[in-house]
Amino acid sequence: MKYKKSRVKHAEAALFVIAALGVSATAQAASCCGGGSASSLILPKFSRAMVDVSVDMEHYDDFWDNQGKMSMDPQGSDLNQYRINLGYAQRLAPRWQASATLPYVWNQNQYATLQRDTSGIGDSSVSLWYEAFDKIACVWNVNNWKDLLPAIYWGGTLTIPTGTSPYGDVADNFDITGRGAYRLDASVLIDKTIYPWNASISASYGQYMQRPVNREYGTYIEPYDKQLGDRFNTTFAFGYTYFTDTMESLTGTLSYTYLKEDQAEIDGVVDTTSGLRKESIAATLAWASEDRDWVTKLTWSHAPHRDDWGRNFPTTDIITAGVSHVLR
Amino acid sequence: MSYVDIRQWHRLALLILFCLPLGACNDLLDDLNPSASDKRGTVVAGSIGNMPGQIAADFMVKDSLNNDFVLSDHLIGGSDPADVVVLYFTMWCPVCLSHSDHIYNDVMPQFSGRGTVVYGLVDYVSGSVSATRASELANGYAGSAFTTLADVNQGLLDQLNGAMGIVVIIDSDGTILVNEDYRNGSALTETLNQQLP
Repeated sequence: MKYKKSRVKHAEAALFVIAALGVSATAQAASCCGGGSASSLILPKFSRAMVDVSVDMEHYDDFWDNQGKMSMDPQGSDLNQYRINLGYAQRLAPRWQASATLPYVWNQNQYATLQRDTSGIGDSSVSLWYEAFDKIACVWNVNNWKDLLPAIYWGGTLTIPTGTSPYGDVADNFDITGRGAYRLDASVLIDKTIYPWNASISASYGQYMQRPVNREYGTYIEPYDKQLGDRFNTTFAFGYTYFTDTMESLTGTLSYTYLKEDQAEIDGVVDTTSGLRKESIAATLAWASEDRDWVTKLTWSHAPHRDDWGRNFPTTDIITAGVSHVLR
Repeated sequence: MSYVDIRQWHRLALLILFCLPLGACNDLLDDLNPSASDKRGTVVAGSIGNMPGQIAADFMVKDSLNNDFVLSDHLIGGSDPADVVVLYFTMWCPVCLSHSDHIYNDVMPQFSGRGTVVYGLVDYVSGSVSATRASELANGYAGSAFTTLADVNQGLLDQLNGAMGIVVIIDSDGTILVNEDYRNGSALTETLNQQLP
């Protein structure tokens, strides 16, 4: 008898690693023309710098098991994570910009009979972006084929394990705010606005760096090497912008995100119990001032509670509120 | 605000952004510069404890059917002796279920014809025997080769220094052979290969 087939779906969400996964749908910044439609911390063209602050409220509710079937958390579970994300972007040259982000994480968990509230810094990141276009690619009218050219950004991001991982001096999984390994991502963002419509696609492929592990949950163990699986992430977004009489704007964006992480390796041997996948949809409202210097955003990201929309991962809802200020 | 002031403000913001982690966490280097050194302490073989090489103190917990599960019953001289006792600490999370599924689907069949192994799922989160039974049923392990143990007061968790995903392997004389994260199950497989006839 295969007992799994009779499973009534009742289990828990993996609250321990999620902070570090970076899957929140924070609408962090402006598009190339400003206004807040892109999903990365990217400076509008010709801007000099930008400060971005956002708050995530993530609620964990059930999870997908290793076969992609929905499973329920234990009764009475209430799993939440709150994050403050600080971001800063700086133009380095007419086509080059750099950015950095740093989250601070609060875990607030009631898990069956366990109550644990912890907090700490999450994994931070630094990025370098190249703008493969000369002029702002947002147009009101299409008069020739050049007006159809999108803004294309090529980027690289280094995720730095500044969070608390299972491999440090931690009591248990509730303390964890980071993955514990460096990751290097190559990214591309293609964004096109023909007012009032906007569409974008972004994709990134990341590889974790192998690291030695000599401690698990605070206990020293026989050292081994661990390499987390490669990660692929893509987002499709489509938006509409409404302008007021004073040219302030309100942009609504719908997006779909697909995230997949391959199986990890331990001492070169594949860990078949690892790996994850998650699909989610999000809606963002962004209000921008007339001069596009201030953008205020509100995002709701939702992972559908349906089989096969994920694997080995909790289903979550994330509310993100943020503001960014562009310095010309 | 002048342009110069703005530039200085930017630099300060950048400095704070990058230095905050360094000043806020004492053991940040655990991950920024991970060590491959073996820092395990020495243990006195045969002493009572939770480290590999030590003897597991006897314990009694209820299983999900409210029966007593006594470690010594499954050791040499006990009423139901086994070659190996495997204890897996679960909180019924995705990772936990991946591990216990792996034990069920991959490990158990490999060793089904070799010796006697007691496989215990230690539920340290449900808080009662009935809740452990409910979790066992909900996750499809009722009636399986696992014995699900209700570690109601987390006494076993404390005794064996357990945590989510930890597997403890105890041989027939009570010696702890492995006490570590399950990872990909290779330690369990290798140990069973060595211990079982």
